[in-house]
Amino acid sequence: MASVKRASVKGAGVIDHYVATLHRELDFDPALAERLACEVEDHLRDAVEADPAGPSAEAERRAVERFGLAREIAGQFAADSVDRQARRTWLTLLVAIVVTFVAMRLRIMWLDDGAAPALAPLIDRYGFLAALAVSAIGWFAFRHSLFAPTLCLVGLAASIAAGIVRAGLFDQGVPLLVLLAAAGEFALLGLLLVEVVGFGRRLRRTASLRGAAP
Amino acid sequence: MIQYLVLLGMEAEMLKGHLDAIVLAALETGPAHGYAIIETIKTKSASTFDLPEGTVYPALHRLEQAGLLSSAWTTPSGGRRRRIYSLTKAGAAALADRRKAWGRFSHAVDTLLGGGRAWPA
Repeated sequence: MASVKRASVKGAGVIDHYVATLHRELDFDPALAERLACEVEDHLRDAVEADPAGPSAEAERRAVERFGLAREIAGQFAADSVDRQARRTWLTLLVAIVVTFVAMRLRIMWLDDGAAPALAPLIDRYGFLAALAVSAIGWFAFRHSLFAPTLCLVGLAASIAAGIVRAGLFDQGVPLLVLLAAAGEFALLGLLLVEVVGFGRRLRRTASLRGAAP
Repeated sequence: MIQYLVLLGMEAEMLKGHLDAIVLAALETGPAHGYAIIETIKTKSASTFDLPEGTVYPALHRLEQAGLLSSAWTTPSGGRRRRIYSLTKAGAAALADRRKAWGRFSHAVDTLLGGGRAWPA
């Protein structure tokens, strides 16, 4: 309800316009936008009440001016949210790597590669190793770049796809443990994809709020 | 005039670098809402630090995410609903650490600028 009110502030005061603008600039995090809009509105009403000249449109304008540009404040929130998103993406990547490693070892232990195409075990192994190497380098050198997690995602996807080919061609039936590990790999790959897309979106939003190219 | 503006710019940059610690210190005396925190900072610094008021909100949110502050909405009788921030135990410990670090740093700079005793003391 509050956000509907904020979306249409035609004819409203300076504070209403400012709060609506801030709410719009924080669109990358709707929960934060809603919470901050309420807090900022409270703040600005307090400032107007404390104005020596008393409440007026001019006092509202002064309060908004002292508060700072909505775009700059949203930019600071966006930069913080990129840090949090980066941490979450790397944590998901770490878990995905561990699960892929376990699944790969299970495939090696339980499956007969004789029926699989010769390339499948190689892609399974080297896709994983490439993802591991890129994530290690990325963690130390490009922690806030989208490049390393994206490349890791591709490496893990290749490894998982090759693993599925290996498991699918196993003619004696696939052990439950191998299937469960593959399901875990898929789930984490999906989660990693969501995190990487979210990371990219937040990087672009921060860059646009700060007036720089992504 | 230019020197004064440069000095103001330096103070704003220095304040940004220490804003988290300043916000923690402003909450040391008790829970408060955003507007009151800014008023405390202004009063205690005798208006030396005059950043845009909105700058304090990203710091409050950051500190809360780090577990150094907690917050909750409260509605006083007959008043407006407000979000009140409080220092957590981890926040009090972080403030003590930052105070120590600042003490060492400011003493070293003071010595280098010629205003104090030899460093380390």
